[in-house]
Amino acid sequence: MSITDKIKTTLYELQSFYLLCLHSIFKLFKKPFYFDDLIEQMEYAGASSVLIVSLVCLFVGMALSLQLSAELSSLGLKMYTGKIVGIAVIREIGPLVTALVFIGRVGAGQTAEIGSMILGHQIDTLRVYGIDPIKKVVIPRVIASVVMLPCLTIIGDLVCIFGGYYIAVLVSNQSGSFYWSSIIRELTFQNVFSGSIKPFIFGYLISCISCYYGIRTKGGAKGLRISTTKAVVTSIVVVIAMDFILTRILLYALGFSL
Amino acid sequence: MIVFDDVWFSYGSREVLKGISFKADFHERIAVLGESGGGKTTILKLILGLIVPDKGKILIDGIDITSLKEEELIPIRRKFSIVFQEGALFDSLPVKENVAFFMRELLKLPDEEIYSRVSKLLSRVGVQEAEELMPEELSGGMHRRVAIARALAIGKTKMFLYDEPTAGLDPINSERIISLIKDLSDKENIGFMIITHVVYVAWQLCDRFIFMKDGKIIFDGNKEELISSKHPSVREFIKELFFKIKEY
Ligand SMILES: Nc1ncnc2c1ncn2[C@@H]1O[C@H](COP(=O)(O)OP(=O)(O)O)[C@@H](O)[C@H]1O
Ligand SMILES: [Mg+2]
Repeated sequence: MSITDKIKTTLYELQSFYLLCLHSIFKLFKKPFYFDDLIEQMEYAGASSVLIVSLVCLFVGMALSLQLSAELSSLGLKMYTGKIVGIAVIREIGPLVTALVFIGRVGAGQTAEIGSMILGHQIDTLRVYGIDPIKKVVIPRVIASVVMLPCLTIIGDLVCIFGGYYIAVLVSNQSGSFYWSSIIRELTFQNVFSGSIKPFIFGYLISCISCYYGIRTKGGAKGLRISTTKAVVTSIVVVIAMDFILTRILLYALGFSL
Repeated sequence: MIVFDDVWFSYGSREVLKGISFKADFHERIAVLGESGGGKTTILKLILGLIVPDKGKILIDGIDITSLKEEELIPIRRKFSIVFQEGALFDSLPVKENVAFFMRELLKLPDEEIYSRVSKLLSRVGVQEAEELMPEELSGGMHRRVAIARALAIGKTKMFLYDEPTAGLDPINSERIISLIKDLSDKENIGFMIITHVVYVAWQLCDRFIFMKDGKIIFDGNKEELISSKHPSVREFIKELFFKIKEY
């Protein structure tokens, strides 16, 4: 393929991705609404992901606290463990780790499911009978992700902080009440806001990317593998890059000086 | 009436159809034959307006559908009952809900009405016992029958479209699907277009045969013309027929 062809297809793909993103918002308030699909998707994206999110966040929290305790105690600053864990988890690690787990569990699932619906002509069947696949298939998944990722992030933050507590208090022999009071002191508007705006945006991006690659699936089992891989890789890169951009914007907007 | 007028279609840089033209009446019984990957399913998708040709016109009852919007295509699509390759049942719904799907979503009928129609349709295609099963629990033949029942659920149709209705089925189940297809059309004298790569299936069901090769139509005619065709690719393809039919 020549360079110009490549540029052309890339631009075309970007265009159809933006169109999907826009449609998923504009068609949100148009009838009909598919509540059953929404509930099913929320169940899948939310309730069934709690365990895995908790598990991952627990270990991340413990590892973080372990590293900090070791480093800070050599400086005689062990009592700052709680403060740093609090800031790091609420602002950055909680949303990011939860989003990454969400990509692997929910995003990949959405791509694979929509992809096999494409290959099995189920999406065509919907269209033949005048049912808009964006409304029936894409929007429930987007809403489920936008609603459920923030909920999961709250749970993930909590578990992460508990993991940190376990290490700080039981392994590094710090004071438990001091750990909690330093965490609570970090629950300022700025920190909580900058941590809780992210998962909404991540959820939207992950589900749009996953649905987009699902819809573009072609060419049997191999095509499904390619689109699932692409969806996961793209989501990871976009989420991490977006995290950086959002952090920069939020720090500026909330008046932190660097 | 379906009219294809010099239709070209490509997926990206891959040309699939290169100038297809034919005319077909809704009451005809047509077989579209050709090798896998020859663009047969693409023709069905074009008829339904699911994809748009690069060039050429497609008229359904005199309306050029190539420039219609998605909403404007709905009445066009309602003229057909389509059974996609492998049935395309919704695998998250049980058989009953699959057949009920469009009555619920589009016709907005009350529940009792829907379920009585569903059992009627399922017994019409001979799988009433499968009502509560999930699609993955069905055998290949039952799967196809349920798909046909779902296609019938929408009501008045002018033409059936079947994409590879017997692919992957054992000979007994193929026979059954063939006689079901015949029954459904005989009763109300509705035509169909059947896509297949098995000439014998087409022979049993159809009176008109369209052969596709490399994105072009290389043959279009009735039984006599098919048998006496001199085209080497067609002869190659219909070789197996001569073992199975005696009248020629
Ligand atoms: N969505 C798609 N994207 C790209 N290529 C496709 C797509 N669908 C089908 N093709 C290709 O187009 C050709 C014709 O496909 P199709 O009409 O399904 O053939 P047939 O039904 O005769 O087996 C095949 O080579 C197939 O690989
Ligand atoms: Mg095909």
